[in-house]
Amino acid sequence: MVLVLAIGDLHIPHRAADLPPKFKSMLVPGKIQHIICTGNLCIKEVHDYLKSLCPDLHITRGEYDEDSRYPETKTLTIGQFKLGICHGHQVIPWGDLDSLAMLQRQLDVDILIAGHTHQFKAYKHEGGVVINPGSATGAYSSFTYDVNPSFVLMDIDGLRVVVYVYELIDGEVKVDKIDFKKTATTRS
Amino acid sequence: MSPAAIERPMLESACSKSSDESRRSFANLRGVQWRTDLGILPPLSSSTIDDLRKVTADSRRRYACLRRHLLVDPHLPKDGSNSPNLAIDNPLSQNPDSTWGRFFRNAELEKTVDQDLSRLYPEHGNYFQSTGCQGMLRRILLLWCLRHPEYGYRQGMHELLAPLLYVLHVDVERLSEVRKEYEDHFTDKFDGLSFQENDLRYNFDFKKYLDSMEDEIGSHGNATKVRSLDELDPEIQTIVLLSDAYGAEGELGIVLSEKFMEHDAYCMFDALMNGAHGAVAMADFFSPSPVGGSHSGLPPVIEASAALYHLLSVVDSSLHSHLVELGVEPQYFALRWLRVLFGREFSLENLLLIWDEIFAADKNKLEKGAGDDTGSTFGIFSSPQGALISAFAVSMILYLRSSLLSTENATICLQRLLKFPENIDLRKLIGKAKSLQALALGPSISSSSPRCGGAYNHSKSMVVRSHTLPSDSISPKTPLNMVPDSYWEEKWRVLHKAAEQRNGSSGKQNPTPKKGWTEKVRLSLSRTASDPSPAKAGCGNDHKPSVRRRLLEDLSQELGLDEDTEKAGCDEVSGQKDHICKVVEVENQDGVNNDFTCVAEERCLSGIAGSEENSSLFSDPSSPLSGANNHENDSEKSSVASNSSIDETDDHPEANHEDTTLPVSHLPNNATLNSGDNNEATGKSLAVPKERKLLSGKFQWFWKFGRSNDGEETSEKGNGALDVTKSANDAGSQSSTVCSSVDGSCYSSTTGDLVDQNMMGSLRNLGHSMLEHIQVIESVFQQDRVQVGSSDNFSKNVLVGKGQVTAMTALKELRKISNLLSEM
Repeated sequence: MVLVLAIGDLHIPHRAADLPPKFKSMLVPGKIQHIICTGNLCIKEVHDYLKSLCPDLHITRGEYDEDSRYPETKTLTIGQFKLGICHGHQVIPWGDLDSLAMLQRQLDVDILIAGHTHQFKAYKHEGGVVINPGSATGAYSSFTYDVNPSFVLMDIDGLRVVVYVYELIDGEVKVDKIDFKKTATTRS
Repeated sequence: MSPAAIERPMLESACSKSSDESRRSFANLRGVQWRTDLGILPPLSSSTIDDLRKVTADSRRRYACLRRHLLVDPHLPKDGSNSPNLAIDNPLSQNPDSTWGRFFRNAELEKTVDQDLSRLYPEHGNYFQSTGCQGMLRRILLLWCLRHPEYGYRQGMHELLAPLLYVLHVDVERLSEVRKEYEDHFTDKFDGLSFQENDLRYNFDFKKYLDSMEDEIGSHGNATKVRSLDELDPEIQTIVLLSDAYGAEGELGIVLSEKFMEHDAYCMFDALMNGAHGAVAMADFFSPSPVGGSHSGLPPVIEASAALYHLLSVVDSSLHSHLVELGVEPQYFALRWLRVLFGREFSLENLLLIWDEIFAADKNKLEKGAGDDTGSTFGIFSSPQGALISAFAVSMILYLRSSLLSTENATICLQRLLKFPENIDLRKLIGKAKSLQALALGPSISSSSPRCGGAYNHSKSMVVRSHTLPSDSISPKTPLNMVPDSYWEEKWRVLHKAAEQRNGSSGKQNPTPKKGWTEKVRLSLSRTASDPSPAKAGCGNDHKPSVRRRLLEDLSQELGLDEDTEKAGCDEVSGQKDHICKVVEVENQDGVNNDFTCVAEERCLSGIAGSEENSSLFSDPSSPLSGANNHENDSEKSSVASNSSIDETDDHPEANHEDTTLPVSHLPNNATLNSGDNNEATGKSLAVPKERKLLSGKFQWFWKFGRSNDGEETSEKGNGALDVTKSANDAGSQSSTVCSSVDGSCYSSTTGDLVDQNMMGSLRNLGHSMLEHIQVIESVFQQDRVQVGSSDNFSKNVLVGKGQVTAMTALKELRKISNLLSEM
């Protein structure tokens, strides 16, 4: 019953002022055990805010991040799952599933979390799961202005992960849920 | 096995002590015995084994149901819906109804419970700190608290639960021992025939030991019985009967079952807390608010603590009075004793013996005698069980009698009470408790009991007089139904009552010490008044602040004569006056126009006058005073002051009558408003009001009271008139605050005595103030005659005008007082 928040591409203060208030009201400290951040926060204040939600914060470097000490990629293990994080601008073509799958195999993880496209995506392929949490502030991306704010909450429980997607569409928070089960033995 | 080994000798001794055979049929099985006592199981004498099993099974089913219902797993979909409404049921949902919300709330509760559980019985840690046991305890507590949200989880509940679970655990261990010894009776007889055929040895045993128990339960129709059940010890019999897996209700009905320990412990805990069938409800001891039906408005645990002391006073009045004099209130130690039923005072083994006695006591509420209409105000005495609990506590106190009487220090007393000695003769304690129980239940207790509140005020007034614990005398002494009041209100009430007593006792003494330094005032003031020209400003101004300072110092000394509790207040009061002095001095030193400063001082005083009147407006909002303010000052500058005071008048009626700090803070404000050039002074005095706002109304009340007493003696000269003005208004406001405080204290005092005291005190004060007003009027008329022919300093004209007006105000005050008196 581990709740992991996947969030990224906030681009505060360059492209957006703050998280949408409805999102902010939902993100209260005490419920979430880990935060995974794909990058492009961009400033330290946002880092501190995320740290206040949960002390266990994992973050990778996006191209506009002002703190250059974040790593390019990161891996961690939560429960039975191995998770990998990367911002995604390094993977070309941006957002391409095959390239991301290549990265996933490289990092040897079950769940890869990458961003940069500002579009929510969740792919399942035999290797594992690729999740793109989108942009939590709805900041414009390199190729489109039409971005819905979104983030992802994963509920990791044993061999099963439930992915809750929170999107702000027309001012309302819409929640969606996707179930993934890890096949136990194949990947060690 | 060690806990069982310790148990054995204890159990046997318990057996020997018992008198009631039928109740002791389960003597060695505490779990069953306690369950019977708590009312979960019907007594064996009036029911069969099957009934017991049925009841057990039912209670276990209930618990299982509760558990399924309340322990939330958010992953499982809600009943019936396969696609839950995700907008509500997502983990981050703020909706309180969502399963996730409940899950998180339960997690919070669990965290609180865990804090206590991790520290439970570390000396028996091998059982209590094992994960299985901790898990069970946690679940039980969680479910009980969810079931009873009005109580929530309080520290101490875990200590009540732990021995219950322990006792069940011991029973199960006993069962496994018996199983080992008497294997045969427990073995399945399914293959009975085959055993007989195959195993000669067994065959032989079977022929030897007839097992008639099988026939009774009727599970098998085995022909050969090896041993009749009667040949076994009765206790073994019962153990076997209770644990047979094929009896009524099958496995669920096995009364001594390891699998269902949690269920049984929950039932016991529930019965204990709820006080099933009339027993003392432990849950009451955890509730902070008075239970309906209590005679006094006190929380039950406080009431029970007072009951303890009452019983102690009947039994051993010298010890009781000793403790009361030291200020050792019963709830300091009795809270822990009662809430955990002495769990923290004794070792686990002794505690089990004590609880044996307590649970075995008769739970039924006694019928009240016909002539006993006041009734016992202590709910705990209404049943023998409650009486035994309080009697046991009293016997504990008596056990420590010599060590308690030997010390005069309250802290050491408390330490001794809270650290009950280890090696004690428990039998003696229990025996004493039983004899006291009879006493507690007797008619003498209720007839000789003062009302609960009376006992409270008794101790409170005693402490107020004795000064032994100055730091404690305020907060624990006030009856607890006043606890919700703000801290400052409470202090004000306490000090007010103290002041009433002081007034009553030393009314005569007041004038004489004041005369001492009012003479000084008169001298210095006369000196200043004789130089009405700018020279006045020169030396008079020097004198005035010094005079005022002396006045204030003397006043602070006066107030310092009061009880210790007001020391802090006095320091603040005198400090406050020092500040005002400084403010005035600052103005003087800034070298402003002498007349200006002297007028400023007067205005300061007139501001005081205005603000005093304003404070009296709190309790009697009427407009004539503001009209008086308007007339007061002719000159421009003084009209500024009056406007400012009127502005404050507008603000004041909204203020709480208790919050009389505002007028105090306006004093420096007035003084500085008029000398707008002195920014520094303004700055300082603005800082001062902020401090003032922190002071409670009582300080100001005292200040006014003091000043009014001062002013009452001074008369004759111009400045004297100002003082008198002050006094008139002081007295007026004081009387009104006194009246309002009388009303307030009427609500709060619980005995007629205090109310009468307050009434007498307030009447006396009213009388005083009326006298003062009459004196004011007389003196004003005298001054008018004196000063009409004096110099033409415009300030003097102002004074004259003021004199007339103050006479009018004094008359109005007199009218108000008479109205109040007529209302009372």
